Amino acid sequence: MSEPEHGPEKDVEYHPNSRFSQEIAAEPGGEYIRKCIQCGLCTASCMVANYTDKYRPRRIIQKILLGEREQVLASELPWLCMTCRLCEERCQEGVSLAEIFHVVRDIAAREGRVPKVFKDTVNQVLKDGWLLKDAFSDFIQDDRTDLGLNPEVNFDGEFVKKVKKRYFEQGDKEEVKDE
Amino acid sequence: MKEFVLYTGCTAPVRLPQYEASVKVVLDKLGVKIVDMKGANCCGAQYVESVNRHAFAAMSGRILALAETYDRDILAICGACSGSLKWIKHSLDNDWKLKDEVNRILADEGLEYTGKIQVKHLLQVFHEDIGYDAIKEAIVKPYSAVRLAAHYGCHVTRPYDIVRVDDPENPTIIDHLIEIAGATAVDYTGKTRCCGGPMLAMDQEVATKIGMDKIRNIRAENVDGIVTACVFCDIQLTQVQFGEGAQDESRIPVLTLPQFLGPALGIEPSRLGIGYNKISPSRVFASVVEV
Repeated sequence: MSEPEHGPEKDVEYHPNSRFSQEIAAEPGGEYIRKCIQCGLCTASCMVANYTDKYRPRRIIQKILLGEREQVLASELPWLCMTCRLCEERCQEGVSLAEIFHVVRDIAAREGRVPKVFKDTVNQVLKDGWLLKDAFSDFIQDDRTDLGLNPEVNFDGEFVKKVKKRYFEQGDKEEVKDE
Repeated sequence: MKEFVLYTGCTAPVRLPQYEASVKVVLDKLGVKIVDMKGANCCGAQYVESVNRHAFAAMSGRILALAETYDRDILAICGACSGSLKWIKHSLDNDWKLKDEVNRILADEGLEYTGKIQVKHLLQVFHEDIGYDAIKEAIVKPYSAVRLAAHYGCHVTRPYDIVRVDDPENPTIIDHLIEIAGATAVDYTGKTRCCGGPMLAMDQEVATKIGMDKIRNIRAENVDGIVTACVFCDIQLTQVQFGEGAQDESRIPVLTLPQFLGPALGIEPSRLGIGYNKISPSRVFASVVEV
């Protein structure tokens, strides 16, 4: 659906040669960086760009293509994508910006550069197993009973301990890479 | 009779229990049997997803593996959860290394992901499993002269290649159901745009502007209500209407799809949790029931 069905060039891949773009292209989802022609349709479709001047998705991709690794990873901008995928529905080259930004965030996270709100929320989920344990009160249990629902929500808090230990406490060496 | 195991996600049971309740009551009325998934965890959407791909795969993968123990397909009612589960299912089915990795961490509790179950969003169950004809036959109190705007939710419909729910540029399932129930489905500018919900964490001001953009576009079409199919969208499109300078009388009721369908199917509004909606949808229901 996202690929144009006409034209001889639909499989064209560009080969940006900055080290950072190659680093991103080597990870699952990052390969889309090879297809961007910098047309700006993403920025034109983007609701975030529509309401804040600081965010221009085409420009972030351009920084990656130019190899501005430090500038991109130190910035909050790659974390502002809502992953709504409206741009990728419209992109004529079949680029997924949401996937590229997920790879950028993954790399930033490995280097400990995660915005506080993401860090706090991840820690909460990895502590409780789910997002809203703290908000789940007696009042909500009463509401659930009134609605004919089971007042208990039955989330598991054990599995995330294993996830935390394996992926967040032993460093990169324990992570399985897709080579 | 079609049977599903329901994965509610974290947010619906706490912040929008009327959605969970109305899904159950309406699907029961339409002959779909639902069992609750017990001992589930967060699917990892947005937050874990952003910081560690393997941890995300493990969290959504465990939910897929749990569904296999019920031997039923998953019904997901939240856009973020349905998107995550479908995305990870696609990844596990196409990347055996990732699947091995996930199965290793699941093996401790005797779980295994084999790929035998499907993930469906609520819209698919209405469209594919129940079908428009059966829903049409079940309508006993059709709406009249009610104008409604459908909001689908980004993660419900995109990316199409993974989620396979509806046309991502021109989705029609909610609109069809609005019409089948006798109301008028109204088109509006920016129908497939985001509600702004995913921006709340990083920039609440921008999130609210994006949500209000949608409300303004909908208001321009003079509608009686907004019909949603995602927990976050429903909450976001409601709460932006309570911001500074927002006026009570101009608030547009937001209701979940099963809450809208229920009264037309002859279900009492109290069983659909209508009283829990922060903006009273009484003007929507005036033509079918006393609220």
